[in-house]
Amino acid sequence: MTRKSSHARARFLMHALAIALALLALSPFLWLVLMSFKTNAEIFRFPPRLFFEATWANYAALWTSEFRNSFANSLIVGVVSTVLSLLIGVPAAYALSRWTTRAGGTITLWILASRMAPPIAFTIPYFLVYRHLELLDTLTGLVIIYLTFNLSLVIWMMRPFYDQLPRSLEEAAWIDGATMWQGFCRIILPLSGPGLAATAILCFLFAWNDFFFALILTRTEAMTAPVAVVNFMNYEGWEWGRIAAGGTMIMLPVLVFSFLVRRYLVHGLTGGALKG
Amino acid sequence: MTHLRPHLRRRTILGGALGTLAAPAVNAQGGKPHAGTTINASCFQTTYFEYLKKYFPQFEERTGIKVNFNMQAFPVYNQRTDLELSTKGSALDVINVTFIYSGRWIGAGWVTNLDTFIKDSKYTPAAWDPEDFAGGPQSAMKSAKGETFGYTWEAGAMILGAARYDLIERAGLGLPKTFDELIKVCDAVHNKENVAAFTADKLHHWNWIPYLMGAGGAVFKDPPGNLTPTLNTPAAATSGEWYANLLMKYGPDGILSYSDDQSMRSQMSGRANMRTQAITWMVPLAKHAESVVKKTVRYGLMPAGPKGNFPGSNSHGLGIPAGSKKKEAAWEFIKWALSKETIAMVVKNHGYPSVCRMSVIKSPEFKQVLTLNDQDVAALFLEVLQLGGKTGYMKYRTVPVYPQVGDKINKAIERIATKQQAAPDAMKQAQAEAIQDLQKAGIKVDT
Repeated sequence: MTRKSSHARARFLMHALAIALALLALSPFLWLVLMSFKTNAEIFRFPPRLFFEATWANYAALWTSEFRNSFANSLIVGVVSTVLSLLIGVPAAYALSRWTTRAGGTITLWILASRMAPPIAFTIPYFLVYRHLELLDTLTGLVIIYLTFNLSLVIWMMRPFYDQLPRSLEEAAWIDGATMWQGFCRIILPLSGPGLAATAILCFLFAWNDFFFALILTRTEAMTAPVAVVNFMNYEGWEWGRIAAGGTMIMLPVLVFSFLVRRYLVHGLTGGALKG
Repeated sequence: MTHLRPHLRRRTILGGALGTLAAPAVNAQGGKPHAGTTINASCFQTTYFEYLKKYFPQFEERTGIKVNFNMQAFPVYNQRTDLELSTKGSALDVINVTFIYSGRWIGAGWVTNLDTFIKDSKYTPAAWDPEDFAGGPQSAMKSAKGETFGYTWEAGAMILGAARYDLIERAGLGLPKTFDELIKVCDAVHNKENVAAFTADKLHHWNWIPYLMGAGGAVFKDPPGNLTPTLNTPAAATSGEWYANLLMKYGPDGILSYSDDQSMRSQMSGRANMRTQAITWMVPLAKHAESVVKKTVRYGLMPAGPKGNFPGSNSHGLGIPAGSKKKEAAWEFIKWALSKETIAMVVKNHGYPSVCRMSVIKSPEFKQVLTLNDQDVAALFLEVLQLGGKTGYMKYRTVPVYPQVGDKINKAIERIATKQQAAPDAMKQAQAEAIQDLQKAGIKVDT
């Protein structure tokens, strides 16, 4: 009985600590969300009030500004580049996993080259090439950039998953008359669901959160949401409420997406960590 | 040709006074020589161009030139334009020549020499009067040879703003005129009614330098000719310590992380009293809808140090990228946007406070706009512009490497304020780092 109660107390303390830590970690985000419902005067009130009259004005202002288009641009670029990265990268990861020659390892390493230098190292070349190809300030240009960087991520994350899956599964399918493609689609792909979910989230996050390439390679037409938020920092004064509302809007899709696939996320992120 | 006669007659009658608005594009080459041309212009987000955009249809109707005017956040604009100019791109036809980049952009030959347009009456009638631009701000738009690469639309003139002058008055004091008086006033009013006596933002390379110069120090030996840093002098160390103390002893909590806007808001919300900053950030204290200090704010000249008064002044101008393929049309736009008539119109209709045309600054309309709480702030503005132009002490800020050196100054002041380093050590480190930056840029320094 004593051991049981002390165990319960320990669990309670652990939970309390976990909640406290979560609140601490989330407090900047909570502050941002609260700010987004305040007027500028309320934002700068000191000491700040916990209870205040909330306003939707900042969100309404976003809706009527160019931020709306930028938000749509971010969504399009994020989704398209993620889907393309998975469409190209997943079969590539599978092929490299099943390719048993020494060249397979070398190629996998070279694929990582796009991640071997900081993005700023690529800035001038990308800018000049894009200007020449007239890809500056286009969604296509941004999709290509994110695809370039995400492909290596997809291949490097998915290959360990396929390494873990026993070859006998697809061999059994082939014996039953399936083609290699059918074996991959019907047997292998469904088994790598958690890995796909985790990889998709990371790809989407890279494209969604990117500021640097969007800053350099866009102007007005293809401007994405993170750059649009910075545009609320006017020379003569910042629009704090809109910045906070924009920041909240940027967090929202990632939160929703992560919430929807949270079941797979933890499994997916750790799934390929151990090679059995 | 049908457009030619009426305009010529008008010019004869009015002696060119109105010529700047319509004549240049229309007269010289007959009709609208640039009709159908689209120019791309870019600037950071600012109220001047927000106001001006409303009048673009007038310009487009007169010249037939369509203007794509794009505004971005200050850092975004500078980053993008720097890249565009450095790669000699032709995407932009009119740019803002940002003060802190003016030396770099002009020195590298990335901006067009506008003297070609000014000296040719085919492009610019005498009535446009380039000499009307205030000398101090305009100096940032010139090369070492005196050639002009931009015309200014904004002049920042550093003044003192006391958001809660009533507290100072109640303490039996007035606006401080010297550094010593500033400390005396701070001592008397700090934390009265929960109002910090002083506030500033974290751009110490702008805010601190007037105090450094007032104490007899300087950033460089003799800019722009001799860029040997002089941050390791006793005057720099003493002034650095004095300024850090001013911030930490009399500033609100968190002052070292304040952005420009946060600092302004601390005054507007009545949490902080005095600040020395450009007029653009001072006028909202009296005019902004959210200001709670509208009735109590008063303005004065930047306090003087033992060695004199050196209020900061800066400027931003319009220029044409070297790579532009529509330079003539771009010049038409600049001429219109910065003509006496257009600037006067923006001042009159919108109350814009920091213009550069002397004829406008001295006009009754401008005086009316800048009469705040019965104070003639226009006179203060003019005085600072003239101070800046007289001795050229602001030259330090337009040298191409100033952004890098300024960053080292910011860090040195932070280290002193947070007691991470003693002032002489912090300034010695800043000196060493600044020399490294200069040498990396291929600039010779005295050894």
